[in-house]
Amino acid sequence: MRALKSWLAGLVALATLALAPAAQAQAPIKVGALNPYSGPLALYGTEVTRGYELAVDRLNASGGVLGRRFELIRGDVTSPQQGIATVEQLVTRDKVDLFVGTYISAIALTASDAAQRYNKLYWETNALAAQLTERGLPNFVRAGPDGPAFAAMSAAAVRELIAPALKKDMRGLTVWIESEDSIYGTQIAQVQRRILETFGAKIVGFGAHSARTVDLNDTVLRIRQANPDVLVQTGYVPDGNLLLRTLRDQGVKPGAILYVGTGDTPETLQALGEKYMDGILIVGYPRNDITEAFGPGAKAYLEAYRAKYKADPIAPQGMNAYTGFLILAETIKAANSIEPDKIQAAAAKLDKPEHSYPSGHGVKFDKNFQNLRAGLTVSQWQGGKLATVYPKLAVTPGVTLKPLARP
Amino acid sequence: MDIFFTVLVFGLLLGGIYGLVSIGLNLIFGVVRIVNFAQGELVMFGMYGGFFAWHWWGINPYLSVFLVAPLVGLLGVAIQRLVIQPLQHEPNMQIFATFGLLMLFQNLMLMVSRGEAYSVGGQVGSTVLTVGDLKLSLVRVVTLVAATLITIGLHLFLARTMTGKAIRAVTQDKRAARAMGINVEKTFLITFGIGAALAGMAGVLLTPIYSITPGVGGNFILAAFAVVVLGGLGSVWGAYLGGLVVGIVEAFAGFYIDPVLRSAVWFVIFLIVLVVKPSGLLGQVGAEEVGFREQH
Repeated sequence: MRALKSWLAGLVALATLALAPAAQAQAPIKVGALNPYSGPLALYGTEVTRGYELAVDRLNASGGVLGRRFELIRGDVTSPQQGIATVEQLVTRDKVDLFVGTYISAIALTASDAAQRYNKLYWETNALAAQLTERGLPNFVRAGPDGPAFAAMSAAAVRELIAPALKKDMRGLTVWIESEDSIYGTQIAQVQRRILETFGAKIVGFGAHSARTVDLNDTVLRIRQANPDVLVQTGYVPDGNLLLRTLRDQGVKPGAILYVGTGDTPETLQALGEKYMDGILIVGYPRNDITEAFGPGAKAYLEAYRAKYKADPIAPQGMNAYTGFLILAETIKAANSIEPDKIQAAAAKLDKPEHSYPSGHGVKFDKNFQNLRAGLTVSQWQGGKLATVYPKLAVTPGVTLKPLARP
Repeated sequence: MDIFFTVLVFGLLLGGIYGLVSIGLNLIFGVVRIVNFAQGELVMFGMYGGFFAWHWWGINPYLSVFLVAPLVGLLGVAIQRLVIQPLQHEPNMQIFATFGLLMLFQNLMLMVSRGEAYSVGGQVGSTVLTVGDLKLSLVRVVTLVAATLITIGLHLFLARTMTGKAIRAVTQDKRAARAMGINVEKTFLITFGIGAALAGMAGVLLTPIYSITPGVGGNFILAAFAVVVLGGLGSVWGAYLGGLVVGIVEAFAGFYIDPVLRSAVWFVIFLIVLVVKPSGLLGQVGAEEVGFREQH
């Protein structure tokens, strides 16, 4: 038996040697896609990776990049600690060349750090925490928007969309800024406050609550006392929904409600009902109804998604991820390498105008390799559906801003 | 003064929620003498049960509670028989076992729901009773009423019925109860079943006002433990009154101090109670040593 085994082993080794040169020439670029594929955020983690899969399909259809096709290998990460383990596994066992991710900032933080120890590129498409780029890791590049970008878009929405609709001057417009109390919500809230104050708004309240809270009556009572023109909320789904329910139950009716990051799912519509949701504004990743002028290729993405997954996109995070991956491919091409230092060097030189990609991204990285031209839009609930209403370039002709007042 | 009264009422309503969720926990704690870490998950099952009954058959949660609560009660009986009873000589292991159940149940629902949050639509969740200047969510009012009725009912059950007396006997002295001919194992089964059914009921009644996720039980369980400790381990009235106290304190702290600190405030109370009167306001002295002292 032993003789047979060693004979077989010899044969296999010979075969491998014979095939090796051929294999080398076509070695795919193995990309580790890090996202939660299990756990409470699995739905969104999978959606983000679907964006990568569609990008890989498109790129491979034209031969990949540098003569190499892309191969996506999923790494399930549901916690920051698991991020380290999964990175190690993907590097040592699956021999990935670089990483893309990530739906959750806390995971991106540790996973990219682990990747750096192996000198592998970590190309970030989705996670928002400003800290990710502010760290200055030599292997980290973020193609998508950061938290401050969301905050800036919310402030722009207040000035360009809400103030005129309320027929009020920006100076003296009263705003209540509410957020969930982890680093995600508070960071965005702080930037929102800073920008809105420079616009002349009066911040009449700056509140925080736990995303897991069972009761928001105290917050809503305070909001009622302050009586703001605009309420801005940044948080997760359960607390976002509870806030709306409590506002509705207590009959508290700010002139306008702006939600950042959540409030755009069918479940929220189910929970609050079409009548209440109509008019509420959401800042988020560009959706499928944007114009081709804003996001060239958005319609093609929708068609490709439907063809491959036989369903409509679950969340706009997917198209944002898709765009991020396309930018990665271009950067690899420009660098003629997948090594982090060469990628960063090439990225620093890229300059593409806004609206060059399906999610409306352009490309211009700052010194921390944060893309300053990532696309974001504001949509509004209209008749039980979300319609993009800002910036003007993204709005489908015929779509107008509907009344913001609460029923 | 006006606002003060409003906050007080909101505190009472919140207290009703906490009380309802805690009563079952307290019963199990007082009788079976174990900390059921999976109690929040039993509430979660109640919520999912309420949701699916509405989603598939259009049944109003106030009707489906009569179906879902007993089902969760049966689950409780199964837990007691299959998990707790085999470990009866290892009380510390029982605690770990309930923690294991917590993880099992959460991940089971994760598998089923794939992480999507569910919400019940319809009129129930949005109905508001206007009393003078106050706008009270119907669901919360019903919850407070239910908590009150259940507390009274449970008190009468324990005081007047044979099964209730058996439960009290077992609580006081397991060995003596056994010597008197009481089937202790059966008593534990009944108790766990009731405790679980109460958790399930709380879940169904709360379905209309919360987003249901696999981890939603965790939102209530910490408060429930604080309520149980504050009110007194093993005391039914203790759980009810403890719930009201925690709810009121949280409401006042949230409004007058800062909403961010609302949980911190009752944690402080929790610590003070543990130091000053560990058995809680209405609890049996010595009950706080559960798990560290041999239960005779």
